[in-house]
Amino acid sequence: MTAAAQLALLFVGAALVNNILLTRFIGLCPFFGVSSSMSTSIGMSLAVVFVMTLASGATWMAWKFILSPLGVGEFLYIPAFILIIAALVQFVEMYLKKASPVLYRAMGIYLPLITTNCAVLATATESAKPGFFKMNIALGSSLGLGEALVYTVGVSVGFGFALLTFAALRERLEAAPVPEALKGAPIAFITAGLLSFAYVGFAGWFGL
Amino acid sequence: MEAALVIKAVGALGVLGLVASGVLAIASRRFWVEVDPRVEQILSLLPGSNCGACGNPSCFATAELIAQGEAAPSACIAGGQETADAIADLVGAERCEVAALVVARACGGGTQAQRAFEYRGVPSCTAASRLAGGPLACQWGCLGYGDCVRACPFGALRLDDRGLPVVDLARCTGCGVCVQTCPRGGTKLLWLVPEGSYVVVRCSAHSKPKDRKAACARCCIACKKCERVCPSDAIHVVDGVAVVAYGSCTACGACVDACPQQCIDLYGRGRGVDAMAADGAGPAVGPRSSSMPGTDEPAEAS
Repeated sequence: MTAAAQLALLFVGAALVNNILLTRFIGLCPFFGVSSSMSTSIGMSLAVVFVMTLASGATWMAWKFILSPLGVGEFLYIPAFILIIAALVQFVEMYLKKASPVLYRAMGIYLPLITTNCAVLATATESAKPGFFKMNIALGSSLGLGEALVYTVGVSVGFGFALLTFAALRERLEAAPVPEALKGAPIAFITAGLLSFAYVGFAGWFGL
Repeated sequence: MEAALVIKAVGALGVLGLVASGVLAIASRRFWVEVDPRVEQILSLLPGSNCGACGNPSCFATAELIAQGEAAPSACIAGGQETADAIADLVGAERCEVAALVVARACGGGTQAQRAFEYRGVPSCTAASRLAGGPLACQWGCLGYGDCVRACPFGALRLDDRGLPVVDLARCTGCGVCVQTCPRGGTKLLWLVPEGSYVVVRCSAHSKPKDRKAACARCCIACKKCERVCPSDAIHVVDGVAVVAYGSCTACGACVDACPQQCIDLYGRGRGVDAMAADGAGPAVGPRSSSMPGTDEPAEAS
């Protein structure tokens, strides 16, 4: 397999087969919290792609150049990564406010929301020190920076894809003749369960 | 060995923390954004209740938009004319007329309405409506648990002894928070009407008049009597319920007297009628206010 094919496989594996929301069930709070309308989901998805990719790059470097060489990574990675992600989000927020008010307004309230999001931490951890989560794709014992970024973009695109699918379904459900007892949260949970079934169906694609 | 590990750990985290704080400190200087001083001034003129009626999440967001000229000085709905004038003077814009709104309740059922089942859950309209559409036989009626009363940022609503929210027109700013809170707000159980509107129909049901009558004694039965007596052609039965065209209503009160169900009331500001008494009980003076059914019944929710 060529390197490019391997990267493509990594991307698909991260986005669909091991979808962070619907097959690994990480980051479910925004999945239910912001999915009631399409516009909030788009803002959230954009912010997640943005922050996750940056955070993953930063934690990868912190692991490679600070934590791993010192031999303290095994027990220090969670506080260190949280620190990095929080500082990074703050920085990005300041930068966006100055450089691109339009983008800032689109992502605005979602950026601080993501600071302590478990999906971001999980993905940043995973790309820095693979093997923490059981997945269908074997990430090997360590990823290169390129691979880590491709993996993270895959995960965040998968996050956005699942969130937007779910938001579209929920918007339709608003108008659908749902039985009275199931209106609101119950039907959302049922929908999420069915959607999760659909994503489990991706397992086995491309031999993943 | 262990001591070395501790030192390394402290060192690593310390370095990371220092780098992060250093970067943030520099960034906060480099990326400093000038804030328009008028934003604070405008904010102090706004009601500050963050009601969201203007469509912005907070009064601060509205103040920012007004300062940037993206929103009109009259953007604040709750503030009304006074606020709009003050802001217009501040930003140097022309004063303009504000169309003020007040909230009106389109249900006269309350404790009088038939119950499909007995609800013993959380005393909240939202919770009650989630359970099989609420305990009322009428799917449009007021549940009477007072979510709107609790939501009102201006204290303009209270539950009366009929289990219905009553609007204090002197306090209502037309912000619409109650409409958003009400689980039946989407079907106009609570809705915003022009403050000068003179009559309101106390029914929002669209079911068959016969079914409706079985579920509630105070509903609109679509008899069209109001339509016939109205001298200015301002009230019509649309989709099974009487609807007032506020552009042409002259407040003559003919429909109020003609309604066999007593489900049309005089309403609105500046009518010379006591707003609290006018709400739901017909004109403050007249035979109906005393013969209002259900006034001896206890309120259904606290």
